[in-house]
Amino acid sequence: MKMEDMPLSGPDNTKLEALVHDIYSELVEDACLGLCFEVHRAVKQGYFFLDETDQESMKEFEIVDQPGVDIFGQVYNQWKNKECECPNCKRLIAASRFAPHLEKCLGMGRNSSRIANRRLASNNNMSKSESDQEDNDDLNDNDWSYGAEKKAKKRKSDKNQNSPRRSKSLKHKNGELGSSISTEPYKYNYSTGISYESLGPDEVRSLLSTQCGVISEHTKKMCTRSQRCPQHTDEQRRAVRVFLLGPSAPPLPDTDPVVESDSFDIPDGQTLMSRLQWEDSPDISPADSASSKTSTNHSDSRKPKKKKRTSLSLNSGGGGGGGGGGVGVSLTGGCSSGSSSQSNISLSTKKKRPKLTGPSISSIYDDLN
Amino acid sequence: MESALRCGDCVVLCRSQSMSKESRMRATINQKLTEMGERERLKEILRAKLTECGWKDQMKAHCKEVIKEKGLEHVTVEDLMVEITPKGRALVPDSVKKELLHRIRAFLSQHAT
Repeated sequence: MKMEDMPLSGPDNTKLEALVHDIYSELVEDACLGLCFEVHRAVKQGYFFLDETDQESMKEFEIVDQPGVDIFGQVYNQWKNKECECPNCKRLIAASRFAPHLEKCLGMGRNSSRIANRRLASNNNMSKSESDQEDNDDLNDNDWSYGAEKKAKKRKSDKNQNSPRRSKSLKHKNGELGSSISTEPYKYNYSTGISYESLGPDEVRSLLSTQCGVISEHTKKMCTRSQRCPQHTDEQRRAVRVFLLGPSAPPLPDTDPVVESDSFDIPDGQTLMSRLQWEDSPDISPADSASSKTSTNHSDSRKPKKKKRTSLSLNSGGGGGGGGGGVGVSLTGGCSSGSSSQSNISLSTKKKRPKLTGPSISSIYDDLN
Repeated sequence: MESALRCGDCVVLCRSQSMSKESRMRATINQKLTEMGERERLKEILRAKLTECGWKDQMKAHCKEVIKEKGLEHVTVEDLMVEITPKGRALVPDSVKKELLHRIRAFLSQHAT
């Protein structure tokens, strides 16, 4: 460079150097002037001292660098509940649950699009039922949170709820096949059993040889469980067999049970009735509830009757002289005026009664639930 | 803009002086610096380098002291310039100064005739 400068005259060289330094100082001054403008503007606008505070607060808010503590010196709480607001439904959702909720709420997920579409549709239709929707959403959220496991459980429980009915219907089919009676479906009530009125005597006989067959009070249907079915006692079964096929009474399929239930002021009828009402149908409809009420009333009013009945049965036992044989209740159309339901039997049934009503009532509740 | 003004001033100054050969040369060089855009380029480089090496922060800290002394309401650009420029000159790192001088010399050697 100096070599290049050499062509200039000797004193020019120093002058040129001076020129260079002048230009340089000019540039530096220019930078200083720029800074001064900047600072002055900042001061006048009031933001020049924003970035610094007094020493105390500087110390107070110093960045903390210690293990187990965040930069503000607070103990880091991992389980603190952080909540996010869903942009779609404006609800606060725990951060850990936010992603699944969003998936469902926006309808982007695999299974959730259906729910979300339904939600959207119903929201469009009526925005009133938002709270209900949210409740549903909560349920669904719970469903989602524990994944398929809980879902499976839920389904299982549903199945369990349905299971008695299903198994029953299955048993109906089994009974149908096993006893190989007529396969006409109208004879089979889908929930309770067989309407014995429509069966012929042979069918009834074959049926009773394989099944429990106790007649329900409410549905007038026969129990289709096995002969060891826990819901009915052996005596009930025996009574039904006597009633339908018994030697003293010819099988009368047309016998109307209503007549019998009307005639339960007679102690034997009463016992049968009480037995029949233990055999409870799983589907007690609201219409049936009246009859069930009456039956419960009846059972309540049984206690005062007890004395009467025992006296009656004692009387009958003394006076009747055992006309009907010792096989318990024989209920024909005439209603067994001289039937000696021996006081032994009635007593025994009375003893059994509390034991029996317990499970039957609980089963009623189960079925109602 | 300021630079243009300053350049103009310089030219005027030069012209107002006895138009010696030297002053004429200065004027032409300044004019060339501005015309070729070299002045702006140099300024930009200097600003970047000064920010990079922390000169600007030092100067700002110094400004703060000055302003605190004077009081927030009585700050003028002229006062600031008077207070700050000497320190600004002193604080420019040698490397930055060397590079800048080198560039200016290179420009002059190309255009000084």
